[in-house]
Amino acid sequence: MIRYIIRRLLWGVLLLVIVAALTFVLFRVLPTANPALLRAGRDPQPGLVKEIERLLGLNKSLPVQFWEYMKEIFLHFQFGYSYYSQEGVRSLIGERVSATLSLTVGAAVLWILGGLSVGVISALRRHTLVDRFAMGGALVAISAPEFWLGFVFLLLFASDIGKFKIFPGAGSYVGLTYDPWKWFTSLIMPWVVLASGASAIFARLMRSSLSEAMGEDYIRTARAKGLPERRVVRHGVRAAINPIITLFGLEVGVLLGGALLVESVFNIPGVGELNYKAIGQSDFPVTQGTVLLAAMFIILANIVVDVAYAYLDPRVRYS
Amino acid sequence: MKFTRTMLCVAVGALALALAACGSSESGSSSGSSSSAGANGASAVTPPPGYQSSVDESLSGKRGGTLEVLQEADFEHLDPGISYFALDYEVVFATQRPLYSNKPNQNETVPDMAASAPEVSADGKTITVHLKEGIHFSPPVNREVTAQDVAYAIERGANENVANPYLQSYFASIEGMPQAKGGPVKGIETPNKHEIVFHLTEPKGTFVAEALCLPITAAVPKEYAEKFDKNKPSNYAAYEVATGPYMLKNNAAGKVLGVGYVPGKSATLVRNPNWNAKTDFRPAYLNEINIKIGGTQAVIDRQVLEGSDVVQNEPVAQSAVRLAAEHYKSQLDLSPGGGNRYITLNSKSGPFTNINLRKAVWAALDREALDKVRGGSLVSNVATHFIYPTIPGFTQAGGLAGPKLDYDEHPEGNLAVAEKYMKLAGYPSGKYTGTKTVQVVGASSSPEKEDAEIVNQTLKKLGFNTKLTLVEIATMYAKYCNVPKEEIEVCPTVGWIADFADPQTVLKPTFDGEGIVATGNVNQGQFDDPTINAAMKAAETVNGKENRAKAWGKIDDELVENAAAIPYDWEKAPRLEASDVHGVAMLWNEGAWDYSFTSLK
Repeated sequence: MIRYIIRRLLWGVLLLVIVAALTFVLFRVLPTANPALLRAGRDPQPGLVKEIERLLGLNKSLPVQFWEYMKEIFLHFQFGYSYYSQEGVRSLIGERVSATLSLTVGAAVLWILGGLSVGVISALRRHTLVDRFAMGGALVAISAPEFWLGFVFLLLFASDIGKFKIFPGAGSYVGLTYDPWKWFTSLIMPWVVLASGASAIFARLMRSSLSEAMGEDYIRTARAKGLPERRVVRHGVRAAINPIITLFGLEVGVLLGGALLVESVFNIPGVGELNYKAIGQSDFPVTQGTVLLAAMFIILANIVVDVAYAYLDPRVRYS
Repeated sequence: MKFTRTMLCVAVGALALALAACGSSESGSSSGSSSSAGANGASAVTPPPGYQSSVDESLSGKRGGTLEVLQEADFEHLDPGISYFALDYEVVFATQRPLYSNKPNQNETVPDMAASAPEVSADGKTITVHLKEGIHFSPPVNREVTAQDVAYAIERGANENVANPYLQSYFASIEGMPQAKGGPVKGIETPNKHEIVFHLTEPKGTFVAEALCLPITAAVPKEYAEKFDKNKPSNYAAYEVATGPYMLKNNAAGKVLGVGYVPGKSATLVRNPNWNAKTDFRPAYLNEINIKIGGTQAVIDRQVLEGSDVVQNEPVAQSAVRLAAEHYKSQLDLSPGGGNRYITLNSKSGPFTNINLRKAVWAALDREALDKVRGGSLVSNVATHFIYPTIPGFTQAGGLAGPKLDYDEHPEGNLAVAEKYMKLAGYPSGKYTGTKTVQVVGASSSPEKEDAEIVNQTLKKLGFNTKLTLVEIATMYAKYCNVPKEEIEVCPTVGWIADFADPQTVLKPTFDGEGIVATGNVNQGQFDDPTINAAMKAAETVNGKENRAKAWGKIDDELVENAAAIPYDWEKAPRLEASDVHGVAMLWNEGAWDYSFTSLK
């Protein structure tokens, strides 16, 4: 098992190097505009553009820029400096990572708990009103874009602009250590919005997976042996959950993408919001840093999923 | 996305005249706007009564309170030596005092750090400015401001670690400035603590004196800032000190970054304890301004309209302008002078080297439709020439009606006139029969996309084969329209905003053939007429505001006669405020809020 984990970790590092190289090509070699031109004002004088290129290190050859970029990332864990605020990208991300983690971890918990329980209930109450209602709701949740859903939630439930003034609105986020209760209440709507899509997918998948499992011979045998229904269901869930775990790894990427929009709608100062603004300003070092961080999380989540999968199904680690 | 680079110190018609026009029953145009002309021709198109707050009203503002500001975008640069963006200027002009400034609703600059108007010598080659006494830097510097601080502020703009974006555009005629690298400049002298003299190599005294209202003239203490300016790039902004009524909150060491300004999150302006109200014309009612950065425009608009002690800080979405105009009228602030928009046609290569083809497109174009996609007369006027309302020379160039030319007289488009020019261009059928496919490159965002589509349809009506490409707006400029070698025939959504109240800043960068460069070229149509180039060169050295308004107004006429581009829109800038806020907008700065005049009710 340990050899398997080491192998996965090494693959993860290699993947990160590839992603870092790709982001360099994407943002430095193929940019849509010269960042020095953007920084040089509306009527950029050629001399000034050259000065700014020197200032931002863009006058160096691409291989030199690439070497310095990779060296900074892998030796010092530095992603460069924002073209605008001149602040280090690592510190910019560091200041925001707790907000993004608060949002995504909370949403992930909600999506797993919500998705799995709805899926299990639907599978066990197939073709009943409860099942139809749950699956209909899931379809709506899958179809609703997070951006739109967030706006609808604010107009309905935000304490400032909502019809029913229940939850704190956009811009109300505070850090967990600053005020835990405010932190919790400010994240209720964002969690629900961010978790809704993935939760609905999980619910539908769990329903079909568990329905299939509950029709297997070993379930019939268990029932014939007189096991209580709760234990029978537990056996079924354990068998049905494998495809869900695989999907979890993939959904982390979707979750981070969704976080970008949800952070923007609810004005949560997270990494997604930082990335969103950086894209608008062509602030490439910040965009690169956030993309790399997201890649790191996705790779890590997938390694965790692979290990969990290998633990649950030993055939995987021997293949 | 709107082209948001700032205009600085853009003029607005004299307040009294503007208010008189506003209240006059004879002054309303069909669009609900009115106009008034200042002595130098800086006409102001004033919005309907009830929309625009004025300085007079704000002078009776309530003292105290905290204003909350919601803005989606972050600041770009808060260092007064780099800052060049409307949003940045809101903070910069509340915290810094340049030599001259604009009162929010006036077109004339007034002495700010300076004690009196600039003294321009008879030959136009020397400018002398006397400074007020008793102005101090905020903590931790605390000492009195001197002329040497103003000299350093300008000189550091040439330091490559600062790299001011407009220094060489407006101050290159100061002796030694083109060669400057950040050290002392020969043409800037400080004979004593309260006097600064600029020696010019050309007789451009009036123009350079006008530019002294740019924030680069806000004093910077050399002994404090030099160590930050040695960093590559300078991080003076992280520790900057103030001279204005407010300062960015800092700690004992003077650090602003992470204290009073957290990139992407917030900025906090507090009172500058060393500000002396007796030396300033600003009332500075508010105790504190908390700026929240981030969020989404649609949500912010709602939060402001239904909120308390809060203002919205960026160009408002069309839907919100409509909502506010219908249900929250007193909370909608509309400022004229949001710049011009025009369509460039490549006059260097391709079919539009033929002047009559350019006139034909102008005549056929439905400029009212272009105006409507931007929100109609509430937020814009159909443009008839290039110098826009609030800029000196607007009246001389024809005012709202514009010059009497048949291809300009039909804002709804006139195909009969267009046909006449097609025939003059050598197409007897009235349709283009050439084989060239015309490249049209526009922006993919709304309403620029709709603009591009209207222009594309007009070209098709005239028989042109077109290829329409829609890209992100920054890409449109940086990769296509501002790169001459790409040979783009039509750029339908370009525009310009002046940097300060002088018509040269509207026309010269955009239509001077001698200023065409390989990249970052803002003369997108590559218009290069030797006669007009020479007229611009001559007008640059014209002194006296009225004379300059006349000279540049005449150049505007010539540009229209040569169909250098097709102007279609003069924009107004909408902003939203809560019902308990008395927001005062800087008309010279795209209607951005003036925190030094805004108050709570």
